[in-house]
Amino acid sequence: MSDPALKAVNLVKVYSGGAVPVHAVRGVDLQVEPGEFIAVMGPSGSGKSTLVHMLGGLDTRTSGEIWIDGTRADTLSESAWALLRRKKIGFVFQFFNLVASMTVADNVELPALLGGASPREARERSRHLLGALNLADRADAPPARLSGGEQQRVALARALANKPSVLLADEPTGNLDSRNTRDVLRLLGEVHRDGQTIVMVTHDARVAGLADRVVALHDGEVVDDGRITRRRTGTAGAVIDLR
Amino acid sequence: MSTTRAGIRWIRADLRARKGQATLTVLVVAAIVAALIAAVTLLEDGTNPWRGLFAQTEGAHVWFYTKDSTAQVVATREIDGVTSAAGPYRSAPATVVQDGKKEPAELRALPAKPPAVAHPVVTEGRWLDAAEPGGVVVERSYARALRLRIGAPFTIIALSGERHSLHVRGIADSAEQGFYPEWTPGLAWVLPETLDRVEPMLGRSQWVTGLRLTDAESAQVVSQRVVVMLDDELQRLYTWREIRAAMELDNRLLGTLLALFGVVGLVAAALALANAAGGRVLGQLRDLATLKSMGFTRGQIALLLLVEHGALGLLGIAVGTLTGWGGTVAVLGTTSVAPMPVLAILAGTALVVLAAVGLPAWRGGRTPPIPAAPALPPRGHLSRLARLALLVRLPPALVLGARDAFTRRVPAFLTAFGLAVPMMMITIGLGVWATLDNFAGHPEQVGQHAALHVGPGKLTAVEAERHVRADRDVRAVYPGVEVNALAPGEGRSVRVRAIGGSTAPYPFPVVEGRMYAEPGEAVAGQGLLDLLGVKIGDRVRLTVGGSPLIVRIVGRAIEPDSDGEVLSVGLDSLAAKDTVPPEFYALALKPGADPSEVAGRLLTESSESLDVQIVVNPADRLAVIRVVIVALIAVLTLIGLANLLTASALGLRDHAFDLAVLKAMGLTPRQVMATLVTGTGLLVVLGVGAGAAVGASVVTGLIDLQGHTSGVGAGIARPPSAMTLTVAVLVAVGTALAVALIPARRAARAQVPVTSR
Repeated sequence: MSDPALKAVNLVKVYSGGAVPVHAVRGVDLQVEPGEFIAVMGPSGSGKSTLVHMLGGLDTRTSGEIWIDGTRADTLSESAWALLRRKKIGFVFQFFNLVASMTVADNVELPALLGGASPREARERSRHLLGALNLADRADAPPARLSGGEQQRVALARALANKPSVLLADEPTGNLDSRNTRDVLRLLGEVHRDGQTIVMVTHDARVAGLADRVVALHDGEVVDDGRITRRRTGTAGAVIDLR
Repeated sequence: MSTTRAGIRWIRADLRARKGQATLTVLVVAAIVAALIAAVTLLEDGTNPWRGLFAQTEGAHVWFYTKDSTAQVVATREIDGVTSAAGPYRSAPATVVQDGKKEPAELRALPAKPPAVAHPVVTEGRWLDAAEPGGVVVERSYARALRLRIGAPFTIIALSGERHSLHVRGIADSAEQGFYPEWTPGLAWVLPETLDRVEPMLGRSQWVTGLRLTDAESAQVVSQRVVVMLDDELQRLYTWREIRAAMELDNRLLGTLLALFGVVGLVAAALALANAAGGRVLGQLRDLATLKSMGFTRGQIALLLLVEHGALGLLGIAVGTLTGWGGTVAVLGTTSVAPMPVLAILAGTALVVLAAVGLPAWRGGRTPPIPAAPALPPRGHLSRLARLALLVRLPPALVLGARDAFTRRVPAFLTAFGLAVPMMMITIGLGVWATLDNFAGHPEQVGQHAALHVGPGKLTAVEAERHVRADRDVRAVYPGVEVNALAPGEGRSVRVRAIGGSTAPYPFPVVEGRMYAEPGEAVAGQGLLDLLGVKIGDRVRLTVGGSPLIVRIVGRAIEPDSDGEVLSVGLDSLAAKDTVPPEFYALALKPGADPSEVAGRLLTESSESLDVQIVVNPADRLAVIRVVIVALIAVLTLIGLANLLTASALGLRDHAFDLAVLKAMGLTPRQVMATLVTGTGLLVVLGVGAGAAVGASVVTGLIDLQGHTSGVGAGIARPPSAMTLTVAVLVAVGTALAVALIPARRAARAQVPVTSR
């Protein structure tokens, strides 16, 4: 059996900056197989964003282990994490986080260049991705001219530019209207069908319904982990509350 | 490699997005570098004219006199390192008679066609011409000392005692020797035929040869070769170093002032850059976080920022160098720019630039990589002060603005500090200006109570005294002499100046101790105290013309002459042989009298027999400082403005979202604008006020310290007047508010959407 794309063992995060230490994540075990699409759900403050940030190395873990493609990553330095992210991890954020001073095409090419592609390869890859995401005609526009949905699609293209092992999406639709949400979700579904491993954080049960598997977090602990393929529209939030 | 490409792309995009700010940064650095280069060159040129003269005349580095013009003398041009030679020229001593005075001169025979090397540059009139054998070209400082004009008679007495009447055909600059009278005899060029007529005896003349070298530094080696080659033939030899030293003014005062301005200018520039870079980094924290999430490491981000902001600074240095260099070359000529100080300036600014952007770059590198955390200013509750302000019903815009000003402590401090430093320097500059004004307006406070020094000239001392006492504008007459005295243990002599008696002393400006009151007491300049290592109350023993002079130093006077190495005593403290008859009379004029008018009248009434000299005010010699001050104020203003724009841009960024909320709360656009302007304005007032206060409190100390080290002595400094200072502060604050108003106005009018970032 091949290594899991992503594995977390007894992952703990304690914020000790304030007067009282805050236990954001309390011992999460999670295994993501290659090609799997996982939705991490939970109410705000349940530690889901912290979890996904730790999985991508944006935040340091207090204890526990993180394995990416069979390699242990939690012991890496900040710089080593950065190098790892170039190849293995793509991020999509709630507020898109496009670099405002760069054009759409440049935003998509930046990670490709960083990953070692030649300018020509990077340009081709971005053209291909933007074409696939229906943004070819906006390539030279600054991000500020794009609608929220378009910006999130660019962010998605950027995250996919290096064909990462895992795509980490933190509330990718949290800031979009329903039509744009649908568009973005459709795209996520498509890349998933192409074999992309995805871990998506959301608090919207309808969005989570798209995933193969839903992991529910409450107060930093996994309270539910199950496949929901048969459930079309969900009341997962209610389930969590009941348990 | 991959990071480089990605990094370059990001830098390019970022610079394109903020062209205006980037241009301003470049301009500020360029202005500072250009001003520094221009100031250094101006000072260098003003205080050391040798370099310019040497280049203009294509001068020779080594000059030597021989008894004869032998083949060996000619052979010196074959020495390694010698590119070409001037001469040997025949040269004969003579005495010039002018206005009844006799001045030593050296007549040098040069051909009608000026030589290629060490050719005098004619500034007035024309060069020698074979058609006019009676013409003579006089070196400029000599002509000035003798008050010679073009066409004036030039009467010389040869060693034989024979008189010859020539006339001045031209006045020329030369780097062959120092200026008259510091370097005697004075120099005049004639045609060889003329010299043959004036001094037919070859035995009474010498031959002068100048050698131009490939490398000025090899002058010492070449001189030694010349000494060895010519042996007995050689009469004397000097190099460009001696000439330069003779031409050099005392530029310690200027040098220190410039260094002070330069250092503080650099500090201010560093602040401006650090502010600009720091403000920019604060504004891009989210972008930086995004870059990190994409895989840029901490070091790479820091390097990226360092390269971006450093490149702007370095570009500014390049532009500044080009303009500074180009400007001075255009104004003063190619050779005026001294390469060493310019290189020092370049290296210094480059280091400062990198250091200044290093800190914000390091800070940017440490941005946490979670871009979702928006960079909000730290929120706080209303301070007690703000609550009190609201309680007494101050306008809310004022209170909100005041609160905004300090939400970000570090940038607020940087902004205030960034304005305080230029303001402090401006205040110091104004203080220097006021000090110069005081020199000019109250010469008696810098030891120049007498505006004229009159020597008897052709008259006897009694006649001279009668003449000067008869003039209606003369208030007081002090007979005086100046003698050289040997100090024990010092290899050189110091000047002893005796003016007036001990009981009715000449009013030297004594700033420490007291004035001398009886024979055997003296006051000294700071330079003399330092030179002899004595203090007030000590007894010193000097030797004047063989006879001992023992005096007790009872006070310290401001002494602008001879680096302050002057001892002032009453005439009765010196031996009679040195004081009778007096060498000159120091004339104190009545208030409002014009020294040059009195000088003219004295000359006319004595039928040009008196030797009248107008005392040169130190402020006139230091006039170049005023140019430096004006230039520096301009640069400092630019720096202040750059800081201000950064501050208001940062303020706007922090408040972009508050604006919508404020409007929703019911603040009118005008009130919103007032809030923004108050935020910046408070920092401006703080910075400008603090800068002016610190500047005013240190300025007298600084100038006095400078006076002390330059030998003039402490006690010369004057702070800028309260009026000047108030106007300066008001202008600074007013300009700053006007500048802050523009973006605030635009922001207040703009429709700010209430969306998340």
